[in-house]
Parts: sequence; C-alpha cells; structure tokens
Amino acid sequence: MKLVVAVVKPFKLDDVKEALKTLGVHGLTVTEVQGFGRQRGHTEVYRGAEYEVEFVPKVRLEIVVDDDQVEEVTNAVVDTAGTGKIGDGKVWVLPVDDVIRVRTGERGHDAL
Amino acid sequence: MYIPYPNWLNTGDNTWQIVAATLVGLMSLPGIAVLYGGLVQKKWVVNTMLMAFTGFGLVLIVWVLWAFNMSFGVPSHFGGSNAHSFLNNVIGHPVPAASHFGEQNQEVLPEGTLIPFHYNAATFIYFQVVFAAITPLLFLGSVLGRMKFKAWLLFVPLWITCVYTVNAFLLWGGGFFAQKGAVDYSGGYVIHLAAGVTGFVAAWVIGPRLERDRKHGVPNNLMMVAVGAGILWLGWNGFNGGDPFYAGTDATAAVLNTNLATAAAMMTWVLMDLFLTKQKKATFLGAINGMIVGLVAITPGAGWVNGYGALAEGFIASGIVWVSWYYLSKVRPFSKVDDALGVVYTHGIAGLTGGLLVGFFADPGMLEYIGTGKAAPGFSVNGLFYTGSWHQIWEQLIAATWVICFTAIVSFVLLQIIKVVVGLRESDENLEVGDLAIHNEEVEPKETFAERLGSGGFRELEPSGV
Repeated sequence: MKLVVAVVKPFKLDDVKEALKTLGVHGLTVTEVQGFGRQRGHTEVYRGAEYEVEFVPKVRLEIVVDDDQVEEVTNAVVDTAGTGKIGDGKVWVLPVDDVIRVRTGERGHDAL
Repeated sequence: MYIPYPNWLNTGDNTWQIVAATLVGLMSLPGIAVLYGGLVQKKWVVNTMLMAFTGFGLVLIVWVLWAFNMSFGVPSHFGGSNAHSFLNNVIGHPVPAASHFGEQNQEVLPEGTLIPFHYNAATFIYFQVVFAAITPLLFLGSVLGRMKFKAWLLFVPLWITCVYTVNAFLLWGGGFFAQKGAVDYSGGYVIHLAAGVTGFVAAWVIGPRLERDRKHGVPNNLMMVAVGAGILWLGWNGFNGGDPFYAGTDATAAVLNTNLATAAAMMTWVLMDLFLTKQKKATFLGAINGMIVGLVAITPGAGWVNGYGALAEGFIASGIVWVSWYYLSKVRPFSKVDDALGVVYTHGIAGLTGGLLVGFFADPGMLEYIGTGKAAPGFSVNGLFYTGSWHQIWEQLIAATWVICFTAIVSFVLLQIIKVVVGLRESDENLEVGDLAIHNEEVEPKETFAERLGSGGFRELEPSGV
C-alpha cells in the first residue's frame, strides 16, 4: 500500500476529486495549505504599506491506495490538475506500513 | 397632581440631544472597537477592544466626578484681578455633577452660554462625555500593540483630567480662546488635533511595536473595519448634528455638510490612490482613511460653512493628509515614530487643517442661532472668502498652537510619571504572544482544542426527565 500525496491548485480540486471517483478510489483527505516551489508570490498593500506574500494557497490531498493502483491514481492527478503553468503542484508517493478502518478494525487491503 | 416635565424643557431638543449623544457613543462602542479590532493582527484584537471599552468607562466615571465641571463649569481664578486674563479663564472648578440637581436642573453654562439650554443638565453632561470618551479611543490607535494595559488604565483618566478639560474649557466652556473668537464646532481641535498629538507623543515615548509585529502587521478582518467605519460615518450625524445644542436649522445643515465633506474626502483619497500611487489601484482602506479625514476636517466648522465649503474642505483636507500619509511619513520625526494606525495624520493633521479652513470658508450667512432684532444679529462665523478678514484664521492659528504645545507637553509629563509608577510597555514575552499572555483570552477560541477545567458543576448535569 502506498500514500499518495498531491499538492495542487485549489481551483483544480473538483476535477481531481471527480477523476479519482471514476477510478474507484473511495476516500481521500484534503487540507488547505500554503506553499511555493518555482511559483512567485504576490504583493498586498494595506493602508499604503506593501507586504510581500511568498506563499500561494494550495490544497493537499492524501490518498492511501493499493500498490497496483498507484500509477493510475498519480496519472489521474497529473492529467486533471495540470494547467501547463508554473505552480501546478507536485505528487509524491510514500510506503504505508498498515491501514486500519476505525469502525470495524479491519486491516490492510480490507481497510481501503 | 404631577406634570411630566418643567416648562423650560423642550422635548424635541431633549430628544435629539440624547439621540445625538447615543450616536456618538456608538461611534466609540462598538464603532472604534471593531474598526481598530479589524485593523490589527489577530493576536492584538482582545487587547485593543478592551482598551477601547475600559477607556470609555473610565472617562464616564471621572467626567461626572470632576472633569465635566472643569470643562464647562464655574471658572477658577488663578491670575489676579483681570477678569479676562488667560489664567482666570483656563479651567473650571473640579466639582462633581452627580447630585439630583446636578442631573435634573436646567442646564446653564456659567460662562459663555449663547442661549440657555431647553433641557436638563444630564442631557448636556452625557452629550459632552461621549465626546470626551472617544478622544482616548482615537489615540489608542497610535499606541496599540505594545502599551502596557495597566498604564492605559492610568493614562486615560489622567489625560482627561489634565489635558482634555483645559482645551475644552478654553474653547467651549467660555474660556480664553472662546472669548477671543476662536471656534471649534464639534471638536476638531479639542478632540482630533489633541488625539493626534497625544498619539504621536505617546507612540514616541512608549516605543514601537515589536519588529516582527510591524513586519506582519496586516489587518485581520476588513468586514469588521467596514462595520466600524459605517458606524463612524453615520454616527457623526450626532457628533456634528448635536453641537448647536438645539434641534434647529443649523443642526441639520451641519449633518448635511458633514456628509458632503466626508464623501468628497473619501473620493479624493480613492482617486489619488488610483492615479498617483505606484500600484495604481483603488483600495478599501484608502477609502476609509479618506472618509475619516473628511469627518475630522469638517468637525471644527460643520454648522458654519455652507455646502460648497464642506465639499471644498473635504477635498482639500484629504489631499493634504494623503500627501502627509505617503510622503511626510517618510521624513523625521514621523519616520522614527511607530504611530500604529496613523492617528497623527488622519486626526491630527486633518483636525488642524479643518480648524484653519474654517477661517477661510465660514459663511456669515450660515446662522447657528437666529438674531432677534437689529441689536442681536444672528451668530455665525466670518470666513476670509466671504468677508476679506484674516481675523478668524489668526485666532484659529493661535488656538491650534496652544492645543498642540499644551497637549504634547502635558501628555509627555503624564507618561513619564506613569513610566515610573507602573511602566509603559508590556514585557517582550507578552508582546510576542499578545492577547493570550495579557488577558488569557483570544479573539477566536477553537472548541476542538479548548477543554474546560474545574471540578463538578458543568460535568454533573443530568437530563431531568420530566
């Protein structure tokens, strides 16, 4: 099992979510984050004082999947979340030692 | 048999006066409280709002106990036999105004009442206290984010007693400058110029906010700023509309003029931001600054200028303060003092400008009180553009010079005394944390993370089942 983490632009979340549902992915967790890579931030002005904001709002998705689903899930994210511009985001994959369903206590593949 | 009120009481006047006072009170609470609350970082919201509420309450208490009569009562004599000397016309006796006759007798000022009032003393005392009370709340904007809370609790009553009462007596209580002919319709000098000067001096003496707070000093809630700003604008209908002390023609003319000056000033600032700044964008906070400048600048003369004068004053004052805000702020001493919300510009410079412009734009045809015959012409003010006389401008200049110098010096001395007694700044540890360190409260507690302590009580509640 693997944990797929994806950081994408907030306005692409709906598209990514629908694509994952189509693949049969049953659950995901989303948080609102701030980040930057190569994308530049912006300037805000309050009462004539300039403030530089280096961070850009993003959403972070976390999905636990079977090993054999990793490639189609990462492809789905990349295909739907991309706009071709700097700031589209990143996906990375980590190994997962175990997954447990809280309601039933099922472990492993049965918990997905 | 009972009658509801004495024959000198006019219910229309009494009603408007207390309504006007309530509008002005709302400008402080919640107006300033949420306007400033929305402008500061989240970590300072509770501290800012509590200083606003406590400041207001402290003024109310000392007002009735001594400060009202110091401002409007029987003059104290310090200066020998000349009845018109400065020292005999600088301050009233510090006596209370809380007795039954102090509240319910007809209000008459011992000095300088143009007409006897047609309502009782409590009406006038309350109307005047809400003006006194908003003044510290204005200079709060300069010192927030680092002034020691205990020092605030001492500074407010001391400042009202030593500074506000003197300026008020001199200009409104029939004192020296009033006798010379200087005018201040609703407090452009007594309130706004004094607040700007005090804020600047206090910000300098107390020292700046933490560097990190200045670096990240963005507002936390612009909608709350909008709520406060709206209350300020419309509440000012009471601020200026209540100052003729009668529900007559000058009251509503002052209200109209106030709104005209404010609109002109706001739009001036918006357009200057749009065309003259590097970023070339209109900003909400710029609009609010312009709005405040217009409100402040019309205050010294709202019932004495006509509509054209009001529009002109709004436009001119906004231009001057806009330039001060963006350029004067970059030079010493302004660049060396952390006046957190820029009160010295939007209240200090705006009040000074408005107070001088009255000397130019006051229209003798704008009658505050109507003359009853040839022997008693109506009361109005003579501006340069209508009469060719520089006299009014000169008197306004002298009064302004006094207000600035006296306010600065006495504020400085009071702060030095408080510094010795209790200190002026919160500790650096407290400044890093903010509200939680000083008050054990935060503006938006998170239920997920806050757990109630204490034995029994709230835990042992059972449904009664009846």
